Amino acid sequence: MLVMQVKPEEEILSRVWGRRVFIFECFGCREVHFPEEKIETLVEKFKEKVIGKLSCDYLCRREFVQDYINEYCQEIERAEIILIFSCGVGTQVVSSLLEDKIVYTACDTLYLNGFQGLTVQDFNCNQCGECYLNYTGGICPLTNCPKGLLNGPCGGAKNGKCEVNPEADCAWELIYNRLKKQGRLNLLKRVFPPRNYQKIITESLLRKGV
Amino acid sequence: MEKAKLIDYTKFKLKPREEIEEIFKRVNRIFIIECLKCYRRFDDNTSEFPRLLDILGEAGRKISGNIGIDFLCNNFLSRKKILSLEFPFDEDIGVISCGLGVQFVAQVLEGKSVYALADSLPQSANSTTEVGFHGISLQEEKCAGCSECYLNLTGGICPLTRCAKGLLNGPCGGAKNGKCEVNPNIDCIWEKIYERFKKQGRRLTLNSVQIRNYSRPSLNLRKNLSVQNQARRGESFYGGLYPPDKKENTANKKIENFPEPEIVTIFLSQHTGKRARPLVKVGERVLRGQKIGEAEGFVSVPVHSSISGKVISLKEEIHPASLKKELALIIENDGENLIDPSAQPFRDFRNLSKDSLLKIIREKGIVGLGGAMFPTAVKLTPPKPVDTLLINGCECEPYLNSDNRVMIEYPEEIFEGVKIVQKILEVEKVFIGVEDNKSEALKILERHKEKIPSIKLLSLKTKYPQGAEKMLIKKVLDREVPPGGLPFDVGVIVLNISTVFAIYQAIVKGLPLIQRVITISGEDLKKSGNYLIKIGTPLREIVTHSFGEKREFFSEYELKMGGPMMGISQTHLDSAVIKGTTGFTILKKSSVKVSEERDCIKCGRCVEVCPMQLYPHYYVFYGKRGEWEKAKDYKVEDCIECGCCEAICSSKIPILSFIKKEKEYARNASKT
Repeated sequence: MLVMQVKPEEEILSRVWGRRVFIFECFGCREVHFPEEKIETLVEKFKEKVIGKLSCDYLCRREFVQDYINEYCQEIERAEIILIFSCGVGTQVVSSLLEDKIVYTACDTLYLNGFQGLTVQDFNCNQCGECYLNYTGGICPLTNCPKGLLNGPCGGAKNGKCEVNPEADCAWELIYNRLKKQGRLNLLKRVFPPRNYQKIITESLLRKGV
Repeated sequence: MEKAKLIDYTKFKLKPREEIEEIFKRVNRIFIIECLKCYRRFDDNTSEFPRLLDILGEAGRKISGNIGIDFLCNNFLSRKKILSLEFPFDEDIGVISCGLGVQFVAQVLEGKSVYALADSLPQSANSTTEVGFHGISLQEEKCAGCSECYLNLTGGICPLTRCAKGLLNGPCGGAKNGKCEVNPNIDCIWEKIYERFKKQGRRLTLNSVQIRNYSRPSLNLRKNLSVQNQARRGESFYGGLYPPDKKENTANKKIENFPEPEIVTIFLSQHTGKRARPLVKVGERVLRGQKIGEAEGFVSVPVHSSISGKVISLKEEIHPASLKKELALIIENDGENLIDPSAQPFRDFRNLSKDSLLKIIREKGIVGLGGAMFPTAVKLTPPKPVDTLLINGCECEPYLNSDNRVMIEYPEEIFEGVKIVQKILEVEKVFIGVEDNKSEALKILERHKEKIPSIKLLSLKTKYPQGAEKMLIKKVLDREVPPGGLPFDVGVIVLNISTVFAIYQAIVKGLPLIQRVITISGEDLKKSGNYLIKIGTPLREIVTHSFGEKREFFSEYELKMGGPMMGISQTHLDSAVIKGTTGFTILKKSSVKVSEERDCIKCGRCVEVCPMQLYPHYYVFYGKRGEWEKAKDYKVEDCIECGCCEAICSSKIPILSFIKKEKEYARNASKT
């Protein structure tokens, strides 16, 4: 689940730059604030250049987008650039299907905590490939500590709050408290070696179809 | 079309043998909670538990039990499930899930030692900060959610997720023959980017040096968005959707009379229960409001003629709700609208006893006007004591405004109707629930209710399906109707606002249910609005009226009786308006045909939106295998057919059609 924010107006206008535009707009998994109105007012500014607009959901489903592209092929053919209001996945899908077209995205994408799984959560998973949760009482130090420290707190916390962001709790203090509650403080004596980033890179890049 | 290649985006795999063995050395008794995985083609092979047992061998006897949960990270459903389990004091918990599931269980069972038995699988190369996800598809593309999209600079190929080094300013120079130096099985993505630019006849020039801003998106922003999102989701009730309401088109249009129909087609079955028995013969003259069909049995109501004229035939037509052929009386309009003498106002209605009020309601053919058409007289004689009357003015379906307009234009009549129902049910407590997108109706009702302090008017958050009985009761009274039960099981009677209006008209005006207010709205219409329409008006006249001409209709448009979410798609223009018609929504058919049924990718969106807290993807799973009876294990009878799952489905699977068939199986099974 990804949330999008429209890029700065000047940037989009400079990309369009008087050329004929075809617009893809995705409203698929919009969650919190899909910037519909913002898009409308923005498109209004170069509306005489817009030769077609396609709104659909789940722009990330390739087979589906292919159907749409077939339907709108004439307009797309005439367009000089394709402008996409969607997350990074949607943009990549369209640009891989329209390889010979200039495809621009009009959005920046961010994602919500906890959305590798199903629902939005307070916490997050880094998908690091070597789960540390067994040693930290089920609180992830990678995602909860801005520094991603694996071997205890940095020492900068004040009154239980993080020094990077005083609104956030110090993750290591949370870990300490939870383990103390469970009488498992001895777990903290273990020292972890540095993270193995190699593992992440190769495993993820080599994931293949089923 | 060739089936697209789906990538298995399972989020986790079991930890290595040594690590699992080490964990099991430390524990005495352990209960295993397992996530049944998401984002993969949905098949049987979702459990890792057998493999865990294989690895453990002898140590497996330490396992005291196990449970598999779909979408373990689902805050609401899984929490309920986990908390319903009872764990002995000395038992530890093992979790087979991605990091989210483990953290979730650890949070729910804070006092327990929770062990992760699986490692999450990396989804993106650039994991130096938190990495995101892949939209909702199972395709190759990934997005890191970096919040400063580089795709415009790189021809739509993401260097962050696909370059092993996450370089933003061109290749590192280590590639050989187009392959990455980190792993020779991977393409150099910068070479791909270069090639794409070349193909488009553009030169790949990077005018400025890109440096990633790792403080974006800020932790706070993301946290706030997550909190906002959770709050919105949990608003009022679990699940549900926020479809664009599209009501503005007809919200301010006054109720008009729909043009006189030339003929009316009055179905003898316009209610739940037994079909009415025809009282008139072909050729006979009938008057407006004359009883033309007599109720057969207790759960049944009579039907009345909505016009004066001549009965020209008694034949089968396609019924708009069941979509099967059913018996109807066709009456030719003489245009005079002569009223039957039985339709006289009851002057002394205030002195009528409870029983005679009920008798009138039955005789005048009143049924629930929200769509279900259950005989109101039967509903008002509940077999259990009730203490609350709930008036449903939610009208959560997009496009429709009929209830809204009735509230705006007939508030006094509604309160009069409420008083009558109050007398019948002998209840004090009355609630009127209205969604907060109908501010005008709320204002008017508020002004009129001042005289009656026992009535509470509630403004409810707009969320689909707020108007479903069970959701409404949960929200307003915090009572939960048991599975398979009815509102009176928890001491409530729910009536639709239009039904109350019809009760008023029957008792005060003596008018049988021969007309009702409907909304006609949709796309491309010349005329839309709210109409007082005669029951039996053929659909053909509605199409002609709204387009201003007769036209070839079904090839381009879809005519739904009701709203776009729960409305019944009509197939035949000879069909007609019935008592349960809340409106007609005319929608343009999508120009793109989604012919191929796609596989369920177990994205879990249907589970998230199901207000009845069901697991709709199983209905599809068993339906596709033809194992219809198995859906019963997943409580298919509880489904209220609100259509949220189908609306959100990322694979565009017609889930409702599976569910309807499965419900039928379940009903037949319980009969035998």
